[in-house]
Amino acid sequence: MSAQSARALFRRQLLAGGKRRVGTVERGQYRCFSCAVRQAQQQQTPPKPAQNGDGTTHFGFETVAEALKEQKVRGVFSSVASSYDTMNDLMSLGIHRLWKDHFVRNLNPGRNPLTSGPSEQKGWNILDIAGGTGDIAFRMLDHASTINNDAHTKVTVADINPDMLAEGRKRALETPYARSPRLNFIEANAEKLDMIPDNSIDLYTVAFGIRNFTHKEEAIREAYRVLKPGGVFAVLEFSKVTNGLFDAVYKRWSFSAIPLIGQLVAGDRDSYQYLVESIERFPSQTEFRDMIKDAGLLVPGQGWEDLTGGIAAIHKGVKPA
Amino acid sequence: MASVRSPSAVLGNFRATSYRLAAWRQRCCYHSYEYSQPPPFPPAESAILSAAIAHVPGYGFTTDALRLGARDAGYMDVSTNLLPRGVFDLVNYHLVTQRLALKNSVQFAAAEEQGKRLGTGAKVRALTLARLRANGPILHRWHEALAIMAQPSYAPASLAELARLADEIWYLAGDESVDSSWYTKRASLSAIYSASEVFMTQDMSKDFVETAQFLDSRLGDVMKIGGFVGALTAWADYTAHSTVNVLRSKGIRI
Repeated sequence: MSAQSARALFRRQLLAGGKRRVGTVERGQYRCFSCAVRQAQQQQTPPKPAQNGDGTTHFGFETVAEALKEQKVRGVFSSVASSYDTMNDLMSLGIHRLWKDHFVRNLNPGRNPLTSGPSEQKGWNILDIAGGTGDIAFRMLDHASTINNDAHTKVTVADINPDMLAEGRKRALETPYARSPRLNFIEANAEKLDMIPDNSIDLYTVAFGIRNFTHKEEAIREAYRVLKPGGVFAVLEFSKVTNGLFDAVYKRWSFSAIPLIGQLVAGDRDSYQYLVESIERFPSQTEFRDMIKDAGLLVPGQGWEDLTGGIAAIHKGVKPA
Repeated sequence: MASVRSPSAVLGNFRATSYRLAAWRQRCCYHSYEYSQPPPFPPAESAILSAAIAHVPGYGFTTDALRLGARDAGYMDVSTNLLPRGVFDLVNYHLVTQRLALKNSVQFAAAEEQGKRLGTGAKVRALTLARLRANGPILHRWHEALAIMAQPSYAPASLAELARLADEIWYLAGDESVDSSWYTKRASLSAIYSASEVFMTQDMSKDFVETAQFLDSRLGDVMKIGGFVGALTAWADYTAHSTVNVLRSKGIRI
């Protein structure tokens, strides 16, 4: 019965996708891989077209009014919230789990009670921005408890999207942290974190979120404000592949396979088309490193660490003490 | 009019000459030691690492030492993320600072004023021994550092640092070779230094006397091998020439 209904659903989605596709052809926005790449090149030639200027910003390859971007991003993530995890696994072939594990292990959250005095502050205060589904938050808490024997580290998950937060709350029920004071969820815009006081956060993380922000510089400045002196700003985000040959293979995968998987599995091609376009538009490793530096943060070493040949990268910044 | 313009013209001339001089200096005789070197670590990293080194005797080359160092320097546990290679950065800090300290800790000028002329060999021995002794205070933790340095991802950086140390010792000893012995000297000293360092971790003798003996016999080995190789080269050269001459005398056109 369930298999039958799943097949029916699949057919419906396929049909819906097909219809949508026909629709887009009529609107003259048909996107095949080659068109998308050409469009990307065309749009990249003018240096930073109207990013901060006259109230417009980019939404994937489209240019939209700044006020609209937030709504549109909200729409994308509301529509993908329920299938978020399955889609991540399919699109990255499961590798996103390794990236997230590495990200958390490298940050090594938690304060070992054996090396800290009794009077000192217990545990870290972590703020996970755009962490709606709790992927990073649960890993942080697990690492702190099991590796550093720290039962005090707390994570605040902030997301602009209530649907993603609902998904996270649902998933939290399967963890030991659901009703503990160590985990809480708030709905917040990373550019205006008014509910969080200055100099109060040990570790500020954004995993696969910052590329959707309308004003990235403003978000980094806000991160600087809420971090304690010596606190760390850490970003896990898609980046630029360094090897040309691998880049060609990767572009083909992301521009043709990912929207197709999105259409078949989640029944939503446009959201995933936005996803790959937003990855394409995100600044390169060096540009983003310089953005972090410009906000006044110290960057460790060269400033970033490439993952899987640069498909993703970890950027860090430390607020000077 | 000319008198008004002349000062700027003279200045311009002077500037041009000084630029040319500077360019010439750079092209012909740039010596890095004539210029002040930038500090090897940025201030924040330096503050954390220097405080962390003080915890190494108690906690070893571990993240605990790094975190305690960060707290002492006014930072937090999380700030150790400023060091992308973690504990290897701590080991590297020790290596770099001890290498750079050599030129201040070993002074030959005083000994030479007293009328003792030190040969290059004696200077190399003194410098190498001084560097080995600098590991003394943390010797009971040094095997940890050796293990970290041997990890595949850190081995190239460790070997590069070893090469820099050998170069520093030969430079401070006043070696001015510009032939192929430049390479063999540095390679052999690197091998001797790393062997002595490993020997030293097992040395229980007072004031590391046995390490000094070990170092002396390794340096002696190199002298012997060097002398033997030199003699062998001279013999081979003589024999080859003689053979050619004998063949020529037999009427073979070579």
